[in-house]
Amino acid sequence: MAETFNLPPLEIEQYTLENGLRVVLNPDNAIPVVSVAVYYDVGSRNEREGRTGFAHLFEHMMFQGSANVPKAGHFQHIMKAGGTMNGTTSSERTNYYETLPAGQLPMALWLESDRMLSLAVTQENLDNQREAVKEEKRLRYDNQPYGQIFDLINEMIYQNFTNSHSTIGSMEHLDDATVGDVQDFFRVYYAPNNAVIVLSGAFESRVARELIETYFGDIPSQPPPPGLNVDEPKEVAANYREWEDKLAPFPAFLIGWKIPARRSPEFYALYLAGKILYDGESSRLYQKLVKGEESVIQLFGFTDERRGPSSIFVGAIPKPDKDLSQIRETIMKEIADLAAHGPTSEEMEKIENQLVNDVVRMRQSSMSRAQQIAEFALYDGDPTLVNTELDTLLAVTADQVRNAVGAYLNTDNRALLDVIPVGKG
Amino acid sequence: MSPELRKSPPEPLAPTLFDIARPFETTLDNGLRVVIFEDGRLPLVSFRLAFYHGDANDPEGKTGLTSAMASMLSEGTRDYTSLQLAEKIERLGAGVSARASDDFTILAASSLSLYASEILGLLAEVVLRPTFPETELDLYRRNTIEHLKFQRSQPPFLAGEQAARLIYGEHPYATVTPSAADVETLKRDELLRFHAETFLPNNAIFIAVGAVDRDELLTELEAAFGGWEKGLVPTPGFPDPPKRDVRSITIVDRAGSAQSNIVIAGLGVKRNDPDYFPLLVMNQVLGAGASSRVFMNLREEKGYTYGAYTRLETKMLAGSFEATAEVRSAVTGDSLKEFFYELDRIRVDIVDNQEMADAKNFLTGVFPIRAETQEGLTNLIVNQHLYGLPEDYLQTYRDKINAVTANEVLRAAQKHVRPDEAAIIIVGDAEEILSQVNGYADDIEIFDTEGNRQAMEKYSKSSVESDAQVSGKWELKINFQGQQLPVTLELLQTGADVTGKLNTMLGDGEIADGRISGNKLTATANAQMQGKGMEFIIDGKVDGDSISGTITAPIAADAIAFSGQRNG
Repeated sequence: MAETFNLPPLEIEQYTLENGLRVVLNPDNAIPVVSVAVYYDVGSRNEREGRTGFAHLFEHMMFQGSANVPKAGHFQHIMKAGGTMNGTTSSERTNYYETLPAGQLPMALWLESDRMLSLAVTQENLDNQREAVKEEKRLRYDNQPYGQIFDLINEMIYQNFTNSHSTIGSMEHLDDATVGDVQDFFRVYYAPNNAVIVLSGAFESRVARELIETYFGDIPSQPPPPGLNVDEPKEVAANYREWEDKLAPFPAFLIGWKIPARRSPEFYALYLAGKILYDGESSRLYQKLVKGEESVIQLFGFTDERRGPSSIFVGAIPKPDKDLSQIRETIMKEIADLAAHGPTSEEMEKIENQLVNDVVRMRQSSMSRAQQIAEFALYDGDPTLVNTELDTLLAVTADQVRNAVGAYLNTDNRALLDVIPVGKG
Repeated sequence: MSPELRKSPPEPLAPTLFDIARPFETTLDNGLRVVIFEDGRLPLVSFRLAFYHGDANDPEGKTGLTSAMASMLSEGTRDYTSLQLAEKIERLGAGVSARASDDFTILAASSLSLYASEILGLLAEVVLRPTFPETELDLYRRNTIEHLKFQRSQPPFLAGEQAARLIYGEHPYATVTPSAADVETLKRDELLRFHAETFLPNNAIFIAVGAVDRDELLTELEAAFGGWEKGLVPTPGFPDPPKRDVRSITIVDRAGSAQSNIVIAGLGVKRNDPDYFPLLVMNQVLGAGASSRVFMNLREEKGYTYGAYTRLETKMLAGSFEATAEVRSAVTGDSLKEFFYELDRIRVDIVDNQEMADAKNFLTGVFPIRAETQEGLTNLIVNQHLYGLPEDYLQTYRDKINAVTANEVLRAAQKHVRPDEAAIIIVGDAEEILSQVNGYADDIEIFDTEGNRQAMEKYSKSSVESDAQVSGKWELKINFQGQQLPVTLELLQTGADVTGKLNTMLGDGEIADGRISGNKLTATANAQMQGKGMEFIIDGKVDGDSISGTITAPIAADAIAFSGQRNG
C-alpha cells in the first residue's frame, strides 16, 4: 500500500540573511499557532577536554536574560503570551523553540534575537545555573535507577573523546568554568552564521520575512567555529563493563553497537532492523523474551542518530531469577537470524505502514515540523529533505536490512554493560 | 533594528480567531453514546471507546481487577491470539491500547484513515470478545508483581502512594496500585464475569475524530456494536475523603537518595466543582508553570531544585492540590519554608492585575496549541464528555477563564489551599530530612520504601526531638552598665549544630560550636574586640522569632540579660 500513498509536500521557503543566518519558512494556516525553532550548530561534540557539560550549561544560560530581557524573562514573556517553550542539548546541536498563538510571532522573534545579540553572561547567572545543572544531574542521572547507563555505554562505544563524553558533562569541569570561557563560547557558537531558524505554522510569508530581517538582520556574524573531527575506528572502545547501581532494584544490561552516520544507507537499514527487533508487541524480541521465554520485565531499544558515527542499542531488565547470558544469547540468535534470512515480507509491510503513519503524525504539530525541518537544514543544508525522507526510507529493501545487520550487529564488536544492583533494599 | 526599538517587547499582530466546531452526537439503541468530529486535515483517525468504570470501581479485596481487565483485552479474543492481534494491528502501522484510570477505562485506537474500518473492527474484537487466556493471565500476574516491585525504586511513585493514602483515606482513590496479594489471586472466570458485568454499552461512549465520513462510520458502528446488549449499571457508594485538621509529615526513607522529593498535599475539588476555573487561574499564578511563583522562588531565586510546581488534580468525585519539588537533600527544610511562604501568600494577598492577566493569557493562549494535533483535540473532546461538562465547554472555555476575578482567586485559595492542614510527604534520606523538618508539624511518621511504618527510635534521637530553628538574623538588645547595646547574631543551623557571626559596636566574632537542644540555644563566640580576643558565652531560649537569655563575657562580672527578635 505504502507506495501508492500520496502525501502532499510541505511548503518550504529557504534563504540566508547577509549575516549568514539560515532561514526556513513552512507556512501552514490550519490552526492559528506558530512555532519558531532556533538550532545552533553546537552540542557536546564541540566541547574540549576539561570543559565537558559546557554546551548544556549554555542552554541554561540562554534563559538568564539579555540586554532587554530580564533573567527568567524568556519563560515569562512566552507564557504570558500564551505560549510554550523549551531548549534541549544533544551531542549534535542545541535547540530552542516556542509555540505561540499566531499573532505573537513578533514576541518569539524579539526574544530569540535579543539573546542571540546580547546574552547576559554574568558571574551571578553562571553560578546560579551551575547549581541548576547540578540539580538536574541529581534528578535525571544520580537519583534515578539506571540513570547513568546511557552515558556509560557511550564511553564504551566511542573511542574519540569528541563522541564519547556525556552531554551532562562533569560537574568539576563546570565548576572550573569562568565567565570568560562562557563569553568565548557564546561569541563563537551562538553567532547567526552558526544557526538555523525555522518558522512553521500560521503566518504570512511576506510578514515573516520582514520581521526576521528586522530582528536578526543586524546581528553581526563571527568567524566560523573551529572544525572538529568525529572519526572513529570501527572497533568499540570497551567490550564489557560492570556498573554497580545503588538505586537499581534489579540487574539489567545494555548492548550498544557503533554504526554508520545518520542518512547513510546502512543507518537507514539498521533503523528499520531496530523496528523489526524491538519496536512494538509484534517485534521479534518482544515475542521471544517478554512472551516466549517470559524472561524480561522490560525490553527497549533505539538508535542514536548523529552526523558522525552513530549507535544502536538493545537493553533489558530481566526478571530476578533469570539468567542474563541466556537472554543475551536469545537476542544475538535473533539478530543472527535477521542477518541470515532478512526480514519477512510481512515485516517489511508492517514497517512501511509504520513509517507512513509516523510521518503523517509528525506533520500534525507545527513544533514537530519545525524541529524536523531544522535538523535537515542544519545537518544537511537541505530542509526539503523533510518531503523526501519517507520515500528514502520506503526504498530500503529487505536485502539491505539483512546485509547491514550482518555487517554491524555482531557479537565481537559490541559494548555490553551489566548493571549490578548494590542498594540496601 | 535600533537599540531603542529593541527595548520593549513587541506588540502582537492581529489575533486570528480559533473555534472548535461542535461534534455530531447520537446514541445507539443499546445506549452507546457516539460522538463524531470530522477533521480532514490529515489522513488520520483516532477512536476512543470509554467506559464510566475505573480502578475506583474495583470490588472490595480485588484491587487491580479493572486494570487487569483493560491490559488483558488485547491478549487473546475469540478469533485471535495475542500474537495475531499484535501483528494485525501493527501491520497496519496502527495502535490499539487500553488503560484504566481511577474513573474510566479508555480504549484508544488510531491509524491512517485508509485503515479506519480494519482498526475499528479490531477495536470491537478486543472490547466485545476477549477470552483472557490462562497462559496470558499467568504472565500478566507475574509481570505485574515484578512491576509493583520495580515502582518502589521510583521516588515519585513512593510520594504519590503516600499522598493518595493521606488525602483520600477510605475513598478508593487512596489506592494507587493493586496489592500483590490481589494480583496473585486474579482468576480468569473473575475477569470474564467482571467484563460481562461492567463493559456495558449504556455505560460507555464512543468518540471518533479525524478523516471519517459520518454516515459511513455510523453504519460501521451499528454493525460492530449494534448487537451489544445493554445491562444494569451499578451505582457505587464511596466513603468521603477524610477532613484533615492538622499538618503532618510523612517521610519515606530511601537511603542513598541524592535528593528529597517533597509533596505538600491536600484535598482539592472534583472536576465539576464550581471553583474549577478560579482554581485553574490560581494554580497558574502559584505553581503550574515555569513563570509561576514557586518555580521563580525555589528554582530561579534560590536554586534549590530543577523545578518546583503546584498541581491541581480533579477527578470525577474528588481531587487534590499539591506542591511538589525534587530538591537536593541539604535544602529540604529551606524548601519547605519557601513553599509555605508561597502557600500562605496566595491566601492572604490579592493577586495583582498583571499576574491575573498573565495567567489568563497563558491558559487561553495554549488552548489552540493543545488542539493542534488530532490526539490533542481528541483528548479535549474525550475529557469534556467523560466528565459530563457542558455541551459548549470547548467553545466557552477561554471566556470562562477570562471571566475569573482576583477576588474569586483569593476566595478559592482560602478555601482549597490549606497549608495548616497539609500532608507533607518527603521521599529521601530520613536521617538527613529529620534534622531539617522540625517545627513544620508535630505529627511525624516514617515508612520504608516497601510501605512499612518504621519505629521512630531507629533514627538518631537528636534529630527527632522537636528542635527550634534559629537560622536567620537576630537583633538583640543588651543591657550593659545602664546602656542599651545593639548586638546582631547571624545564625545558620544545620541539624542541631549552629554556626554564625556575632556583631557588636566594639567588634565582631565567629560562632563555631553552637548547639540547639529543644528550644535552648548554647553557643560560644570568639570575638576580637579592640585588639583583644574575648569569649562570649550565649545561653538563650528560643520561642519562634523571639529569643531571650544571658550572655557571659569577661568584661562583666555577672551574666548580662538580653532579649531580641529575628529580623530576616
